[in-house]
Amino acid sequence: MAVITVKDLSKNFKVKVKEKGLKGSIKSIIKPKYNIIKAVKNISFSIEKGEMVAFIGPNGAGKSTSIKMMTGILFPDKGEIDVLGLNPEKDRRKLAYSIGCVFGQKEQLWTHLTPYDNFKFFGAIYDIPEKQVEKKIDEFRELFELDEFINTPVRNLSLGQRIRCEIVASLIHEPKVLFLDEPTIGLDPVVKEKIRTLIKRMNKEYKTTVILTSHDVSDIEKLCKRVIIVNKGQIVLDDTMENLKYHYLNKKIIDAKMKEKVNLEDKDGITILKDKDYNLKLEVDLKKTSISEAINLLNTDNIIDINISNVPLEQIISSIYKDGDK
Amino acid sequence: MKKYIYIFKSELMTNLQYIFDIIVGFISYCIMIFIFFNLWKYIYSDPSELINGYSMGQMIWYVIVTEILWMSLGGRQLSKKICNDVRSGNIAYNINKPYNYVGYILFSHMGLFLLKFILLTILGVVLGLIFLGSFPNISILSIVLVLISCLFATIINILLITTIALISFYIEDANPFYWLYSKVILILGTIFPIEFFPVFLQPIFKYSPIYVVSYGPAKLFVDFNWNSCIEIFILQGAYLILSILLSNFIYKKGVRKLNVNGG
Repeated sequence: MAVITVKDLSKNFKVKVKEKGLKGSIKSIIKPKYNIIKAVKNISFSIEKGEMVAFIGPNGAGKSTSIKMMTGILFPDKGEIDVLGLNPEKDRRKLAYSIGCVFGQKEQLWTHLTPYDNFKFFGAIYDIPEKQVEKKIDEFRELFELDEFINTPVRNLSLGQRIRCEIVASLIHEPKVLFLDEPTIGLDPVVKEKIRTLIKRMNKEYKTTVILTSHDVSDIEKLCKRVIIVNKGQIVLDDTMENLKYHYLNKKIIDAKMKEKVNLEDKDGITILKDKDYNLKLEVDLKKTSISEAINLLNTDNIIDINISNVPLEQIISSIYKDGDK
Repeated sequence: MKKYIYIFKSELMTNLQYIFDIIVGFISYCIMIFIFFNLWKYIYSDPSELINGYSMGQMIWYVIVTEILWMSLGGRQLSKKICNDVRSGNIAYNINKPYNYVGYILFSHMGLFLLKFILLTILGVVLGLIFLGSFPNISILSIVLVLISCLFATIINILLITTIALISFYIEDANPFYWLYSKVILILGTIFPIEFFPVFLQPIFKYSPIYVVSYGPAKLFVDFNWNSCIEIFILQGAYLILSILLSNFIYKKGVRKLNVNGG
């Protein structure tokens, strides 16, 4: 069952343009000029219940604008959005009870209050009975390991602790859909991993549908089974992570350590990425050639060690971004 | 309603952590009252004399009350906050919550107002007693009604400032409009009662926000009578409805024009 359906969604922004210098400033007062930025252009997709979807794209691609339209913050110029059977434009407040949002770059908590007081506050604004809020806090206290700092004012928490609290605050009303906008930004690898584990656990235990935007490829790789890539306001890819990883580029990387130096040259389907001393790094395009052919070129008796891997996801994604730019 | 009480409570709890900063800010209130006390003492050569129907004592108490209302309001802070929120797009993070934005602003700002109001009222009464040596001849019931009128005055003021600040949806910066509004209220209703202005202007002032947000409650305190009391509450009721409608209207229209920086 689809929890989110987006059809032909478009959004333009009117941005004031000012010519340089003082003259430009005066001119912009008398005769202001505006540019129309097409932030989102006719995008359509649907998301099923319990899915964890990465909604990614380069800066300015239109992903945050799309998310803000799905949550009712921004109003679309054209198209239809259905989130949990509601129209975010018309039923924004009703929808707010069923969705949660975490913006990694934006604090939603009251910084001078403790996480406990914040959770009570969020419970109250979502009209949850006090006893139920207490129960939820106890539950999350354990799941998100909050005991150590639950009574410390938010302003004194580390970034990792604060993000954990942000996520809990957005879950206190048991949202059916959770929008995570760069939830791990600025966190160290250990805390990032912890947050990812918690998001995974939450998705498993509460069947929460998660829409994640992040520039951190590890977030996407470790959390999401499906990826929607947006560039220049359009969807350039909507596929499973598996297909993206294994089939999108159809390329493999071979790292080999040789007994003797091999003199190789680029061949159709085989690109030499590195050739230093006895170490070789090749990129094999499986559409044009095969792994065995590449290994045969190296002469198997000459190989000390070999590692065959997929092209890193980061490289795949940036190649999709670049394709979109062309 | 429970959620709005919580919003109020959370803001109050936040401000309680800064109570000493708030108290330090009261120094300017003391200076202001001291200046006005000396000014009116100089103007009233004879303390029993009446100027435009006000004795010197009434005049000082009038300024004490209007300055309490003015300083505990924190109007500039409120206007600046809303203007910045709209311009930067930060308002977005309030929009996606299940509450009315104007209601959120009103109750959260009341959390700051109430704390300042209580402290300033204590300070104002102490200063009045020190400078004048007596309290206006007013019953407990009348004091309660004046306090209710002060509460309404502030609610209307917050809603009107919110309406003005929300003009930021349409123009780049609404702060100059607030500046204009604040100076009108300050000069025409806070420092001087409206009886001090030309007679032909007084009926206009009487139906303007000046009457309900500043002059009315103070006048009631220094010269309580039931006719004025009923009149003030009727006008405050009308302004309350008007300001609720106006602020919500401008918000609902304006929010459609929202541009959020960075997406």
